[in-house]
Amino acid sequence: MSWRRALSLHAGALAAVLCLAAPTADAQNPAGPIANPFEGRADVIDEGRSLFNQYCAHCHGTNAHQGERPRDLRRLKLRYGSQAPRIFYEAVSNGRLEKGMPVWKSVLGEDMLWRIFTFLETVQTPP
Amino acid sequence: MTHVQRTLAASVLSAALILAASSAWAQSGSGWLMYGGDYANTRYSSLNQIDTSNVGRLRVAWMRSLGTLESQEATPIVVGDMMYVSTSTGPRYVFAFNAKDGAVKWKYEPELPTDFAATVCCGLDSRGVAYANGKVFVTRLDAKMVALDANTGKELWSVTVVDYKVGHAITSPPVVYKNLVVTGYAGGEYGVRGAVQAYNQNTGELVWKTYTIPAAGEPGNDTWKGDAWKTGGGSTWYVGSYDPTLNLLYWGTSNAGPWGGHTRSTDSSQYGQYTNLHTASQLAFDGDTGKLVWAYQMTPADVWDYDAVNEAVLADLNLGGQTTPALMKADRNGFFYVLNRQNGRLLSAEPFVHVNWAKGIDTATGRPVEDPEKRPQLDRWARNVCPNLFGGKNWEPMSYSQQTGLVYIPTFNLCMDIAGKNEAYNPGKFYLASEFDLDKADSGGFLSELKAWDPVKRAAVWGIKEDLPFMGGVMSTAGGLVFYGNQRGELKAVDAKTGRVLWTFNVGTGILQSPTTYMIDGRQYVAVVAGRVKGPPSFLGKIGQKVIDASPEGGLVVVFELAN
Ligand code: HEC
Repeated sequence: MSWRRALSLHAGALAAVLCLAAPTADAQNPAGPIANPFEGRADVIDEGRSLFNQYCAHCHGTNAHQGERPRDLRRLKLRYGSQAPRIFYEAVSNGRLEKGMPVWKSVLGEDMLWRIFTFLETVQTPP
Repeated sequence: MTHVQRTLAASVLSAALILAASSAWAQSGSGWLMYGGDYANTRYSSLNQIDTSNVGRLRVAWMRSLGTLESQEATPIVVGDMMYVSTSTGPRYVFAFNAKDGAVKWKYEPELPTDFAATVCCGLDSRGVAYANGKVFVTRLDAKMVALDANTGKELWSVTVVDYKVGHAITSPPVVYKNLVVTGYAGGEYGVRGAVQAYNQNTGELVWKTYTIPAAGEPGNDTWKGDAWKTGGGSTWYVGSYDPTLNLLYWGTSNAGPWGGHTRSTDSSQYGQYTNLHTASQLAFDGDTGKLVWAYQMTPADVWDYDAVNEAVLADLNLGGQTTPALMKADRNGFFYVLNRQNGRLLSAEPFVHVNWAKGIDTATGRPVEDPEKRPQLDRWARNVCPNLFGGKNWEPMSYSQQTGLVYIPTFNLCMDIAGKNEAYNPGKFYLASEFDLDKADSGGFLSELKAWDPVKRAAVWGIKEDLPFMGGVMSTAGGLVFYGNQRGELKAVDAKTGRVLWTFNVGTGILQSPTTYMIDGRQYVAVVAGRVKGPPSFLGKIGQKVIDASPEGGLVVVFELAN
């Protein structure tokens, strides 16, 4: 199953609406699906890249080019497969403070984080 | 000529030069007593047993693991027969080694909170420790400073300099003189307000604190728009210099915060009164009271992250037939400044790398003559700005050889695209208000270069080009040598006059900091700390990836001696 297909299983229109309308629902219900509400939306990629370069690039590399393997976000798909959106969401929401990854929950809206994720989807390293 | 004759000749020559060209206090003697080798930050050693004729016989005397893998940036200092080295990641450890054979005398392992890493901008580094009167002073990423007993490593006192949670950290060693230990702190990327703070060496009591940015009501506060001064940066993250004769303490200040300038100035090259004092400036403080004596701003209303923190190297230069108390700085903004260190007057400012954001420095006003196209504005990109925000030179230190009268500068050859962006201030979060692409090589097919620079003639003498950025800091010696490393892990010894590489040894992981040298029992050693740069290459995209690929991360101290 491709990553995209795996995502779209969770990312039906209903899920997208829920994510946008009630952004904390998933956080409150960790068992629920966590999916990218912008899945497949080419029109948000540029904005996602720009946000990424403003907020994330100094640690994760300009346009996500990064040599330090654990910080290389082009490998989320290789690393986590269909779990990638959830791991992404959890990492950015809660941070990994002891590793130096900040908490982004209070800083960037969910909407912005998923735009960034949509950009990252376009630069994933093929298996 | 026999070795003894040569040594004699060389030392007579260098003694003459020292008398003619520099104050006697700018010397490290047989040890390496502080970060820059001396208060003047020359990184020049008068030792000359290892010289251009025998440097090819250098071999490893001993080596030790430092136990951490983040960028290693410590200058090993040597006092008597002890060497003190701090490691990255906190520091995780401070080691006291026997400088002759590497035996560990003690190890200090500070108690650190687990979350300090998220408020450090550019790598979990420590540039080393300071020594005075039987004490070793350690600064930390959780913005604490501690004093250790130099014999045992026992903690004598500990103070919180500033609160790390809002983005402060301390990455560089303090300056010690008289009974004071003086430190700055980082945080220019987190909207902090910089200061220099002096403590009593014996008790850890705060003696004075001087902010780099004037508060409301103080002279210079009107160089800021509204309340922007409160989050205006001007941090003091690198090292100070000290002139005991003038009793002046020199410190450079970082970028204005945030990088995007629309928050604090006019967002144009016509910045008028909104210069944002004293960011991107060289400052001189009274050594006893901390009172600001003079200030010179290198980059007014900075929007390029052109910190002016680079080390101030002090020397008495012969300028136009007059011995002049000079302060030299190879600034991030690409200009090599020579100031009169007594009063801060500009003597010269010449580009030492390719510069296109300014056409030059107006010697009458001391201000850059900007190219307005190269100044980024809110949502307007400035393209192909050179140098990029790593600067013509970053913290990796240069060296001034009293023997050749040349300054050896590790330079960058990179450009950038940069634009201002709206961004809210969040305490403890990066506050850049800027978007940038630094993944841009300047022309010439190289990414960094060691430049031998004549500060009097204001011109380059020779250069060694490197294919990766982040070349290491430089040391020069009376043996006619210059030493530096690169991110492949190669340590090189170079003829100081010609730039010919005489010796290379690969230590296996990148070298950022300059080596040091010392003499024990009549034998000269060269020590280097290695551990490839880890955080900052992220800023550079694909170029950064090449740097990461050039060698594995590591943590080593390697000491060399001449083979018998
Ligand atoms: C101050 C540096 C820093 C910034 C800024 C930063 N990160 Fe991170 N990030 C890290 C570090 C360090 C890690 C942990 C890597 C590891 O596990 O060793 C990490 C991990 C992650 C992970 C988990 C990766 C994985 O494979 O498990 C994601 C996802 C992530 N970051 C996304 C982001 C996004 C999106 C942004 C911008 C909104 C961002 N980060 C900004 C430093 C940073």
